[in-house]
Amino acid sequence: MARAAKSALVLCMDVGFSMSNSEPGQEPSFEQAKKVIQKFVQRQVFAENKDEVGLVLFGTDGTKNGLAEDGQYENITVHRRLMMPDFELLEEIESKLQPGGQQADWLDALVVCMDLLQEETMGKKFERLNIVLLTDLNVQTSADQLDVIIDSLKKARITLQFFLPFPVDGEDRADGGGDGPGPSAAPVRPGKGLSRQQTQGLEMVKNIMTSLEEEDGLEEVYTFSDALQKLSIFKRIDRRPMAWPCHLTIGSSLTIRIVGYKAVTEEKVKKSWAIVEAQSHQRDDVKRETVYCLDDDNETEVQKDDTIQGFRYGSDIVPFSKVDEDQMKYKSDGKCFSVLGFTKQELIRRHQFMGSQVVKVFAARDDEHAAVALSALIRALDSLKMAAIVRYAYDRRSNPQVGAAFPCIKEKYECLLYVQLPFMEDLRQFTFPVLENNKKFKPSESQLSAVDALIDSMMLVEKDEDGESVDVFKVNHIPNPQFQRLFQCLHHRGVNPDDPLPPVEPWLKRDLERPQAVSARCQTPLQDVKTKFPLKVVVKKKEQKTSADVFGSSADEPDAKKVKVDEETEFNLAEIAKGNITSVGSVNPVRDFCTLIRQKTVSFDQACQQLTHRIEQLLGNRSPEYYMKSIACIQAFRDQSVSSGNAELFNSYMQSLKRSVPDRNLQELWDLLIQDALTLISKDEVDGSTFSKQDANQFLAFEQKEEVQAAPVQEDTGDVDDLLDMM
Amino acid sequence: MAEWREYYQNEDDEVEEDEEDSGGAYKISGRDSLVFLVDASKEMFIKGEDGEPSNFDMTMQCVRSVYTSKIISSDKDLVALVFYGTEQSKNPRNSFKHVYVYHDLDSPGAKHVQDIDKLQGEKGAQLAEKTMGSGETSLGEALWCCSNLYSDIKLRLSHKRLMIFTCRDDPHVGDSAKDRQARTKAADLKETGVVIDLMHLTKPEGFDVSLFFCDIVSPPEDESELGLQTEPCRKLEDLQKRVRAKELKKRAQSRLTFSLGEGVNLAVGVYVLARTATKPPAVRLYRDTNEPVRTKTRYFHAHNGGILLPNDMKRAQVYGKKQIVMEKDEVDEIKKFDDPGLVLMGFKPMERLKLHHHIRPALFIYPEEEQISGSSCMFTTLLLKCSEKNVFALCRYIPRRNTPPRFVALVPQREELDQSQTQATPPGFRVIFLPFADDIRTVDAHVGPTASDEQVDKMKEIVHKLRFKYRSDAFENPMLQQHYRNLEALALDMLAPEPIEDLTMPKVQMMDDRLGPLVQEFKDLVYPPDYNPEGKPAAKRKPAESGGGGAEKKPKVEMSEEELKNHVEKGTLGKLTVPVLKDACRQFGIRTTGTKKQELIDALTMQFSK
Repeated sequence: MARAAKSALVLCMDVGFSMSNSEPGQEPSFEQAKKVIQKFVQRQVFAENKDEVGLVLFGTDGTKNGLAEDGQYENITVHRRLMMPDFELLEEIESKLQPGGQQADWLDALVVCMDLLQEETMGKKFERLNIVLLTDLNVQTSADQLDVIIDSLKKARITLQFFLPFPVDGEDRADGGGDGPGPSAAPVRPGKGLSRQQTQGLEMVKNIMTSLEEEDGLEEVYTFSDALQKLSIFKRIDRRPMAWPCHLTIGSSLTIRIVGYKAVTEEKVKKSWAIVEAQSHQRDDVKRETVYCLDDDNETEVQKDDTIQGFRYGSDIVPFSKVDEDQMKYKSDGKCFSVLGFTKQELIRRHQFMGSQVVKVFAARDDEHAAVALSALIRALDSLKMAAIVRYAYDRRSNPQVGAAFPCIKEKYECLLYVQLPFMEDLRQFTFPVLENNKKFKPSESQLSAVDALIDSMMLVEKDEDGESVDVFKVNHIPNPQFQRLFQCLHHRGVNPDDPLPPVEPWLKRDLERPQAVSARCQTPLQDVKTKFPLKVVVKKKEQKTSADVFGSSADEPDAKKVKVDEETEFNLAEIAKGNITSVGSVNPVRDFCTLIRQKTVSFDQACQQLTHRIEQLLGNRSPEYYMKSIACIQAFRDQSVSSGNAELFNSYMQSLKRSVPDRNLQELWDLLIQDALTLISKDEVDGSTFSKQDANQFLAFEQKEEVQAAPVQEDTGDVDDLLDMM
Repeated sequence: MAEWREYYQNEDDEVEEDEEDSGGAYKISGRDSLVFLVDASKEMFIKGEDGEPSNFDMTMQCVRSVYTSKIISSDKDLVALVFYGTEQSKNPRNSFKHVYVYHDLDSPGAKHVQDIDKLQGEKGAQLAEKTMGSGETSLGEALWCCSNLYSDIKLRLSHKRLMIFTCRDDPHVGDSAKDRQARTKAADLKETGVVIDLMHLTKPEGFDVSLFFCDIVSPPEDESELGLQTEPCRKLEDLQKRVRAKELKKRAQSRLTFSLGEGVNLAVGVYVLARTATKPPAVRLYRDTNEPVRTKTRYFHAHNGGILLPNDMKRAQVYGKKQIVMEKDEVDEIKKFDDPGLVLMGFKPMERLKLHHHIRPALFIYPEEEQISGSSCMFTTLLLKCSEKNVFALCRYIPRRNTPPRFVALVPQREELDQSQTQATPPGFRVIFLPFADDIRTVDAHVGPTASDEQVDKMKEIVHKLRFKYRSDAFENPMLQQHYRNLEALALDMLAPEPIEDLTMPKVQMMDDRLGPLVQEFKDLVYPPDYNPEGKPAAKRKPAESGGGGAEKKPKVEMSEEELKNHVEKGTLGKLTVPVLKDACRQFGIRTTGTKKQELIDALTMQFSK
């Protein structure tokens, strides 16, 4: 980044007694001015630029300045000489800035500030010298030196900003409006007559400002309340965007010298949070260590030196050293801005813009031939409604992009706007179901007109008295709330280390809300929309780990059987035709198993073995979908065992399954078995069984008790209990 | 417990947390899988007229492009390639005749791609004939075999898709038993959650889907969806487009509430349709075994060596020479303004959306009927009306918890179909991010002379000669392509990576040919004969410097003799900096004894006090 140009600024605040006066219910000017200064210094501290700030107070009880001599320049205190603002200054403003009991001439104070600026900036390079005067002008001033002061301000190229408790052009502000930043607030203290000194002072302010900056001079006079509301009106002396000189080329022989600047890009918080030790607040007390370990059970640590770099290539991992990578990687041949061709602007969709920036491209500075050549291109593109598709590479080390350069013709200048476009790899082609011609979602006429009215009532663009449409919600005028909030909290914590964080400032919240006028306007149409569109939150089923969830309802168990039966009949047709079920498949193991048993193609033992094999396989995937299938298998296993009078295989399988529950983390499955009462086959059912009915019942119940002790999630077992009770 | 886990979380996990797809209210579990079931009958190998590739060739090219794109964009997905109607059989238990499993379900790697390359072209056809041959067809067996592939996978599969590539609309030629078995098997597959698509290819008499395949494929996800494409694919491009549209499971980045105000809320899914693809991060491997290693990060106390738990640490920043300390929770809290969601601010005419207000790639939203019923109807109405009135909706957008808000423009987009009736643009709102005041930089415009009509007209001719139709998928990222070619070469022990075609390079020769004498004519109009735009800009920029281009590092302040004399008289030379003093000496040709400040001052004082 280019080294930012520094500026020097003296805040000159009136602390005289008149500043402490106020209308009932209004904040004294002193407090308002103090807030402005606080906000400003806060901004400077957090912006962390190299700007230097001094603070001069006038109307103080004491006198401390370099010009004070023989009763001249009294009650003016240089509180702080030019320095980079820091927290100390913020703390001083917070605690030490008190109203004074005297009055001092603001012109004298201005002279002190000028002297301070000149003295302290001598020999240093400053881009801009600025004095900010905050006063109510309510003091007698001697205007005889005015011309001399204006002259020396001009000579020293010092700019001025005034912050006053009232607007500079009182009554005529309303119809002259629109030249200030954004829609201006209603004049403060409307109709309140100013004192003679104030009127006189105001004339002088106007005089100074217009002679300094000619037509725009008065734009640099603000009211306190305006300033507080819109801190962005401080001249933003941000980083100057770095110039990127390059050549625009078309083919091999047409070259135009250009310079690009980043014009729009997402500004990020510049600092990240450091980790400090909680007690000492020392960074150095925390050491961070990264270890490498093998992905085995012991997590065996290995040294960093014993590791090499690799990349995934699908299922392969390819060792690829940094050196080799650098040698083999794609190399671009330096910076470029080469036209690949021209295309209709309409073929480049707004949503295809990629990257995080927009670059403005101008002709090289002071090269009129380049300017003419680029102008020809810009105008040609503009009149043809076309854009250039270009290959853009920032420098030798960076990867090339493909982007579009759009013509942009403004009243004062012309340029190209460059935006990155996607590569094939960046795109995802998703197909979405039709909305418009979908009968289910087709809106009725009344619905359409309700939304129509809603849109009309919520337009953020309004016509003003002159018939000009005015945008009432300009996002690009809103400061990023993230920074404002962060700095607010940092400031607060810096000054009051033990306080909790403050709430979001009301003005910031307001900035993020729908404008009040719009909110009021849309009330009725919104109500209409509300009644015409039934919108209902779909109640999500609670995550209960019961088979009710899996099967749909708790009374679903018979259903599972029914499905099976249905399938059998359906299957029979195919079976007759083909008849080649030879093993228990995984797609429909229950059906395969039943078929095998019925057809007796394989022995009962074998069929059972195949089935248990499938069950085990299914249990390998721990998901409800597979549990459902496993349980259906177990159910079929049990049913078939009972009907063939062979309980041994089933019972022994169940016992082994039970033993493996803790190891394989199959509690969930077991819960489902309990719910479906899928227990051992008892003597009552099959003679050969070695288990009584009681044994069989206990088989599950015992497990359940154990689970209550073992499982930390008691809610789940509770659910099961409830369900069992209900059954 | 939770704290420990958080504390031992390694860096990779944190990255994953940021990974957008995993964000949002619902979790994705398991992997996507895709089985290519390709007809290997004789008909597939018939070459088209004028040397057009055979259907088999086209399919292989298409499969290859899916393999490579999976490797690049979603290397965890599983892909299988199965041929049916072969003479030879090869499948896990060899229980199915005439089914040849070329690749079992697996994440594709370099070897897989190479295998497919072998099947391409004339030689490929020969190889296919030799290894697999063409034989009897039983789609039922093939589908059964595929279902085994799915069930043999031990991993959890989240999305299962099967694509049938064939040019035969009646594969069993009237064998109704086989037809029936195929139908049953297809039904089985669908029952287990497999989506079956047909990628039917052209054949001389036309492909009649209703003959057989209409019963095989899955019904469209939505009853009104076009579903089955009735036209077969003639061109590779069409086929690729059709496959690509289905190959990826569309997945919402998050599901959010879109509030119009006053409790009028609908649910929308937020989708990422374009995101800059980057080179994946390197993995660390253990030198001896080439197995990947994991990293663990831990914090410990520098003095006593004790392990530091999360609550033994705080966060700090230094501003204005002061360290400000906060708890981790507070740092998160600062970023919280509201719950995640979209909140409608109002509407603006489309022309208020400025071209240059761009900070991030756009997102896409589509209604979520499953969360709030009625959302689709509300959404559709809004879409229709916004598009009719040519307005966009301005919303406040908070994508997830503890994230500060951004303002976005919801730009209506109605559905568009291309010539082959495939969806070219989906219906929904594009979400365009708008910049805040801080994001806009002040750029000093360069003001220069403008071009005359004659000059502009000449340029118009040039522009006219170089017109082309821009397509967003026309350019591959050369850096990524090279990276993957390199990996491929290493993985397959190739001598050198295959060369890439860098599509981002201007086709200079072609452009020159097309332009002909136009360039010279234009140059004659705008440049004087001795002007060389490619000349060293540095030399020419000198005079421009005063304008504050900002390129020069050192500030150069020329001092007038008068000023210097003034300083000498007042004895204030000491206030000037050394470079300024040096410059002054150089300017007036004063010899100095050294470069120390005092020496410079002495020399200057000597000179000017004479």
